Amino acid sequence: MNLFETVQQEVIERVGNLSLTARRAVESILAGQHRSVRRGLSVEFVGHREYQPGDDLRHLDWLVYARSDRFDVRQYEEETKLRATLVLDTSGSMGYASGTQSKLAFGLSLTAALGFLMIRQSDSVGLVTCDTDMRHFIPPGSTMPHLLHLLSALEVARPGGETSLAPVLTDIAGRLTRRGLVILISDGFDDPAALLTSIQYLLHRKQEVRILQVLDPLERTFPFKGMIEFIGLENEPRLKLDGDRVREHYRRVFANHQERLRSSCHACGVQLETCWTNEDLAGVLVRALTV
Amino acid sequence: MFEFLNPLLFGGLAAVAAPLIIHLLHRRKVKQVDWGAMRFLAELIAQQRRRLFLEELLLLLVRALLVACLALAMVRPAFHRRNGEVDGKAMVRQGRVAAVLLVDDSVSCAAGRAQPAFETMKKLGAAYLDSLTPGDEVSVLALSQLGNTPGDPVFDLEAAKGALNQLKPGFVATDIPALLDGALEQLKRHVNPGAELVVLTDGRKEGWQETDRGRWEELRSRLRGPKSAAPGSRQRPRVMVLAPECGPIEDNLAITALGSDRTVVSARQPVDIHITVANYGLPASREATVQLSVNGRVIGSKTVQVASGARQEVVIRHTFPERGSYGLEAALVNHHDLLAADDRRAMSLQVEPALAVLLVEDGLAQGLNSKLGFLAHALEPEPDHSGAFRVTRVPVTQFLPSMLPLYRVVVLGDLRLLDATTVDALERFVVGGGGVLVGLGPGTNPDFVNRYWARGGEGFLPCPLGPVVTLPKPALPAAVYLGHPVFNGFDAKMDEAWQGAKVRSYFKLDTAKVKAADLDVLLKLDNGDPLVVQRRRGLGVATLVGSSLNADWTDLPLQAVYVPLLRGVVGHLGSFIFPPRNLLPGERIIYARVSAPVASMQGEDNRGQPLNLTLGAWEGRDAILSEPLMEPGLYQLHYPRDAQPIHYAVALAPAESVLQPIKDREITHAFDGAVSIFHSPEQVAANLDPARRQSVELWKGLLAGAIGLMFVEGWLTRREARATS
Repeated sequence: MNLFETVQQEVIERVGNLSLTARRAVESILAGQHRSVRRGLSVEFVGHREYQPGDDLRHLDWLVYARSDRFDVRQYEEETKLRATLVLDTSGSMGYASGTQSKLAFGLSLTAALGFLMIRQSDSVGLVTCDTDMRHFIPPGSTMPHLLHLLSALEVARPGGETSLAPVLTDIAGRLTRRGLVILISDGFDDPAALLTSIQYLLHRKQEVRILQVLDPLERTFPFKGMIEFIGLENEPRLKLDGDRVREHYRRVFANHQERLRSSCHACGVQLETCWTNEDLAGVLVRALTV
Repeated sequence: MFEFLNPLLFGGLAAVAAPLIIHLLHRRKVKQVDWGAMRFLAELIAQQRRRLFLEELLLLLVRALLVACLALAMVRPAFHRRNGEVDGKAMVRQGRVAAVLLVDDSVSCAAGRAQPAFETMKKLGAAYLDSLTPGDEVSVLALSQLGNTPGDPVFDLEAAKGALNQLKPGFVATDIPALLDGALEQLKRHVNPGAELVVLTDGRKEGWQETDRGRWEELRSRLRGPKSAAPGSRQRPRVMVLAPECGPIEDNLAITALGSDRTVVSARQPVDIHITVANYGLPASREATVQLSVNGRVIGSKTVQVASGARQEVVIRHTFPERGSYGLEAALVNHHDLLAADDRRAMSLQVEPALAVLLVEDGLAQGLNSKLGFLAHALEPEPDHSGAFRVTRVPVTQFLPSMLPLYRVVVLGDLRLLDATTVDALERFVVGGGGVLVGLGPGTNPDFVNRYWARGGEGFLPCPLGPVVTLPKPALPAAVYLGHPVFNGFDAKMDEAWQGAKVRSYFKLDTAKVKAADLDVLLKLDNGDPLVVQRRRGLGVATLVGSSLNADWTDLPLQAVYVPLLRGVVGHLGSFIFPPRNLLPGERIIYARVSAPVASMQGEDNRGQPLNLTLGAWEGRDAILSEPLMEPGLYQLHYPRDAQPIHYAVALAPAESVLQPIKDREITHAFDGAVSIFHSPEQVAANLDPARRQSVELWKGLLAGAIGLMFVEGWLTRREARATS
């Protein structure tokens, strides 16, 4: 069973009618299920505001004027298509697996599921895979053949290289000219400060950013006992340590990193969702999409 | 001087390496893991590397130190100064002393005119205790208390002196090897490292048991300990003998033996009571009057002249009027010498109307021509039961196990068969104190006898039977065990009496299958084959005659010697009274035929005071027991309404009267040279001056250090455990 079939089965059977909703409206001329910042042409009334010089007189609510002698303008919300870019971290650290599924495998499934859901509701989805550099860049598209294209790109993704998300995100920000959504799927094992700078740049480029942090449960618990030789997946020098003796220190360093990452995201209004490779994919999707 | 008191345990220091080895082994077992979150580990290493290393090193050091402290404490390092040398003997005491003071409070210690030897011994003991310092521990072990549970060692030297002062000479016999044996056991209860066994004795030679070479060899081996043991250590205790100087024996007459000439004493028949008086003094011959009393009534006295170093026997004839238990006491009257305790001697004698003997034989069991006819006539020539034996003859077909309790002796005459129940009852009869005489003959089936009566040495027969020997030229009895009670009526020079006792056939007795010490060969043939053998089985005795008891195989029954021989054998078989009534000091009265509640039984000691009796068990039977009887003399046991008491006699061991001093050379030889001998308190003080000994043991400090390190280790480990949980 290939990735497409896996995702289709997983998503259709278990997620059902979940739809992706952007917290900020995207600028799109296409009608969709997402709120547009452009008001006036839609059918969904959202309220009144006081007339200001330059407003289209067609939107003036004459009934309000007749009742109260006030010049109020009717406001509508327009549904647009979402333009999302899924950024998948394929660095070496994503290759770690304590169980049957590596972080990358989990990330691939998650990326594919998100892509499938978006295209199913006629949104546009693009894909970026990266480690220190950008490996694939597929601009957003909304057709089913486009989804297949995305999935074939995902299927060839392999872990390798070091984690360096900041320059990649900066590069992506330069390429996205229209308002949209960037979903970063990564373990986040990068410098939070550099990552924050890149995210702020993305936000400046009118992109809503979500981070889905994929982690292995052992990376939090660190249950190793006795002498362990740790072999890095990103060509780091090997480390020989007593698991029992360093556990507490490791947990503290890990928790610090998570806290810094969380506070950085919170500071710039970015949603950070941590998911574990032993979790159910559908459960993760529900949690990520309904917030 | 710095010394390790347990140098053998130095190997324990190697245990210091254990934490390091465990640490290295732990580090060697490395597991490889592919890991994604290396940046956190790298960050951790950058922050904590030094701290982790220091913590690990600290824990390792603490553990190694802890083990080192424990190992060193076990080696027991001590600082002490060497004592001075006196008379060329260096007395080096190692650390604190564990002293076992062995007090020979035997009867000979009471000897002395102006002052008993025991008082001088106490002064020597006190001088020794003065040589100890606080922290030394002492046990005082008296010879008379050897059978009791020993007390714990005490650190209170004044209490030890008090215990020594309270001791009095007893009446037990000296047994120095037994004292040393007890001391080595007691030493195990001590904790101090420097062991000293101090024998406080009156210096009399008897009681050192020098002739018992095996016992001394074993004792010396235990005292020597392992080769690596330091002198004065627990493995090789230092032995000191404190004995007052003994001069020549001025004067000591003693009654060393009292007894009758018969194994079975019958009522209304005269019996000779033999009293032996020995003169152990050096002066010329002494005259003494010996007085014999029976049940407190003087029945006669005689005056004898006993030469120095000689013995003299006095015989007083007496007729006991009726059956029962009698208490005899012989005493030297109007006599005073060095040791008063041996001037009297008591004895308990059981007088029976006649000894009940059951003769079991094949055939009619009547007349002279039967299997046991000769024996019946030899034991009871007159059929009116007026003699010493009351004989009952039964054919084997009428012999029942239920008859056995009515008789003291059972004689089996050339029986072909006995059923298993009867054989079993006979075994129990012998083990319970009865006597069995087995005569063989042409009717005997050796296979049957060996299988069921001998049972490979486990049955009641003294030894298995070999093949029948029929000699072309008859053999004659030759070697007679004259010292045996069976031959009390025999003269050493009556060889001609055996001349006509030809033995034509006999069973060769297989004595090789029985331990020689267990078997008495009473009579041998001139060809060397045993003819009459005797063996103790349980509390009883069984005698086996290899030939027939009638004239089938031998002419012995036709000779005059047959009568005293068989009367002696049967009388000896029936002479055992169990439990014994003639006791040694320290033994208890045991009365096993309990037919009434213990409360109704009363006892009196030699001074007429009531005895403390308790109900106990003896050989699986209910019995009344007294406390250990320490003083010689006559004791009584009786039911309140019974006019006839049972007499018990406690008599001294005759060897205690000898009073011959032992030489230092002999003591040194006994201990193979590893002994210090002191004769005066001054010598003790000079050699063992406590002021010259200053000893500090370091094990307490090391143990305290180890405990402290244990707390540190525990704290470090808990800290780590908290971190890892």
